[in-house]
Amino acid sequence: MRHYEIVFLVHPDQSEQVTGMIERYRTLIASKDGKIHRLEDWGRRPLAYPINKVHKAHYVLMNIECGQETLDELTSAFRFNDAVIRNLVIARDEAVTETSLLAKSKEERDESNRRSAAEDVVGEAAAVEDEEVAETPADPA
Amino acid sequence: MSRFFRRRKFCRFTAEKVKEIDYKDIAVLKNYLSENGKIVPSRITGTKARYQRQLGTAIERARFLALIPYCDSHHP
Repeated sequence: MRHYEIVFLVHPDQSEQVTGMIERYRTLIASKDGKIHRLEDWGRRPLAYPINKVHKAHYVLMNIECGQETLDELTSAFRFNDAVIRNLVIARDEAVTETSLLAKSKEERDESNRRSAAEDVVGEAAAVEDEEVAETPADPA
Repeated sequence: MSRFFRRRKFCRFTAEKVKEIDYKDIAVLKNYLSENGKIVPSRITGTKARYQRQLGTAIERARFLALIPYCDSHHP
């Protein structure tokens, strides 16, 4: 059993299939007593250069522990799956489990989007309060 | 020439005691690419040889995954 890091890019039109594909690979690895130490879905990202006339792709990263047989099956699955436009397999020395920087940056971006939205709501509320304050002195007069 | 003060260059990875350069860390890799996407030589950046080799493989991997471009004039 060895540790591998796999990244594969899925055609953006087949983006919905990703969950099914991950599930299939998970069962394949589990059936051969392999382990998935890290699984990250980076979602759709713009490519730095077009691949097969495609400008965006769905990225998936997984760190697994499996034997040669399982890895061969996985790579052949990538090869014969038209939805997978590119894949990279790297041997690793140990299991990597902490979230990768790209996934982290994506989370932060989501978070900041959410935060800015929340701030907008707060800002509106404050504006409303200001109006109320402006109205109150007018009442006794 | 030596009249001007030149900032001493140093290896960032040695200073931070980096274990392995990650190909997913695009922000760091971009510091070692020129404007047209080429890798900047270590004689200019001051990166130690051991890390320059790691940097090379990391950049090649990131390029393969289209995280960073190979050059500035990819066909659209």
